Amino acid sequence: MFDFLQLVANENLKIYRRIRTWIMFGILVILVLAISLIARYMPGGGDGSGWSMMMTETFLLFIMVTIFTVVVSAETVAGEFTSGTIKLLLIRPWSRSKILLSKYISVMLFAFALAATLFVLGFGVNALLFGMGGAREEILAALGTNRDISPFSYMLAYYGFEFISLIMIVTVSFMISTVFRSGGLAIGLSLFFLMGGSVVTMLLMQLDYAWVDYLLLIHLDLTNYLIEPGFELRDGVTLGFSLGVLAAYYVLIIAVTWLVFNKRDVAT
Amino acid sequence: MEKLAPNGSIVQLKNVTKRIGRRTIIDDLSLDLPEAQVFGFLGPNGSGKTTTIRMMVGLMAMTEGDVIIRGHSVRDEFEKAIRHVGAIVENPEMYKYLSGYDNLLMFSRMIPGITRQRIDEVVELVGLKGRIHDKVRTYSLGMRQRLGVAQAIMHKPTLLILDEPTNGLDPAGIRELRDYLRKLAKEEGITVFVSSHLLSEMELMCDRVAIIQAGKLIDVRDIGQTADADGAGGAAFFFDVDKPEDALALLAGAHGAQAAEGGLAIVGGREAAADVNALLVRGGLRVYGIRMQNKSLEDQFLEMTGGERIV
Ligand SMILES: Nc1ncnc2c1ncn2[C@@H]1O[C@H](COP(=O)(O)OP(=O)(O)OP(=O)(O)O)[C@@H](O)[C@H]1O
Ligand SMILES: [Mg+2]
Repeated sequence: MFDFLQLVANENLKIYRRIRTWIMFGILVILVLAISLIARYMPGGGDGSGWSMMMTETFLLFIMVTIFTVVVSAETVAGEFTSGTIKLLLIRPWSRSKILLSKYISVMLFAFALAATLFVLGFGVNALLFGMGGAREEILAALGTNRDISPFSYMLAYYGFEFISLIMIVTVSFMISTVFRSGGLAIGLSLFFLMGGSVVTMLLMQLDYAWVDYLLLIHLDLTNYLIEPGFELRDGVTLGFSLGVLAAYYVLIIAVTWLVFNKRDVAT
Repeated sequence: MEKLAPNGSIVQLKNVTKRIGRRTIIDDLSLDLPEAQVFGFLGPNGSGKTTTIRMMVGLMAMTEGDVIIRGHSVRDEFEKAIRHVGAIVENPEMYKYLSGYDNLLMFSRMIPGITRQRIDEVVELVGLKGRIHDKVRTYSLGMRQRLGVAQAIMHKPTLLILDEPTNGLDPAGIRELRDYLRKLAKEEGITVFVSSHLLSEMELMCDRVAIIQAGKLIDVRDIGQTADADGAGGAAFFFDVDKPEDALALLAGAHGAQAAEGGLAIVGGREAAADVNALLVRGGLRVYGIRMQNKSLEDQFLEMTGGERIV
């Protein structure tokens, strides 16, 4: 186990030794600061609750977290093939499965680091500039929920659900990166999935066929379920159902990724 | 732990075959690599050297056959088999955004028992000490090759596989590598498997050479043997004479005489040379010199593989 952590440490090194990574963190930090400062000091601004500012920023910037992670994920396997370093990586006393797992874990840790940065910074900056006080009902209404929970728990749940969607998209990107050994394709397809997804979802939701319930796309925005207890996306499509569908797709995507990576002839 | 086959070989390739689609790239190749030898793997471009090496280190799956390294099958017990292997497959690509040292550090984490001291030792050995903390991006081809060698020998492997390691090295680097590989084999008992098409190189550094062509093993020979070959009619002599045309006419094809630059050449042993010399002198020609031409491995190799033809 200790040795396996060394593999993860190596993969982390490959991520954090690149300037690109720090530019991503930089962009995220600057955007949070800029949005909050502008909202606070622009003429006519300055009131409003820190919670709703945090929500607005999360809404805008969590996509950023997903995009950045997709970029890193797309590169992690395909990049090794492009540079040829995959040959040196695979001739170590480690199974291919474990090497791939170490990569996957490092990508997920990166996603978590970005999301945590957004959460902590969003909370901190807005608490400082706007304060997190106010009547609870009002705040929850502004956040768009009928649930009776604390705003902090609500934000945590929101991040949790967003993170599940992120995992799905990033895992797709990881799969494309592994199967096609092309980072560009992985980025392109998964972002199309992310961006085009909501439009296609809206169209699909109009359709009254049962099979629509089982499409991956319509389950990618789980935050809808936070609106109220017992919310149904479509008739009979509950949170549990969505999670079940996502889990099934997840297992499938992971299986394909690992299978292809294990069987692949490395001839770069 | 240490398992040698009955014949003392540490690595066995057993009927290794690779087919991609309908093409057979490696055809039923069997080979034993003895302990503590520098073993050359010689073949023209596209003959399947790199493909064979890729299968030996598990980068490519074998269609048939198996490779056994220290008693462990690459097919079934990959992690155990590869544990004592160090390798460079084609170009030694490293992470360009890391320093040479960080590259080594990273690979060292993947194999237990490599100390920082050992890393410093190999850095010194491959002569990269002055530049090891620079980013690999700034390295020349030869420096990358050296870093590749460092990476491959860091964990003191018992089998070192190098695919055209002299590629990009300067003459001094080639010489150093050659001496070092010989030393590794002799003093540390490491089996070195080197592929190359620099044939003259192989002669200088290998104990034994396997020759592959179009995916088939066509010969395995000890390097010492090539020198013995002259007595057996394989030798050739060059005659430096004043009138080559007259001399050729005089000999009328005896001993395979034919024109060579500035004179003529015959095929045959010492006796044949003496006879030809007597003939020429008696015929009134002036013989300025006679040189024996050792057939080098290179000539033999070209003969066997049919020259430059890429199959
Ligand atoms: N992935 C592949 N798909 C199809 N054919 C391949 C593949 N890889 C190699 N080959 C073919 O296999 C043969 C052997 O190639 P290989 O790279 O092993 O040769 P080599 O002996 O290393 O040559 P060189 O001296 O040029 O390095 C070649 O004919 C090549 O075209
Ligand atoms: Mg080759």
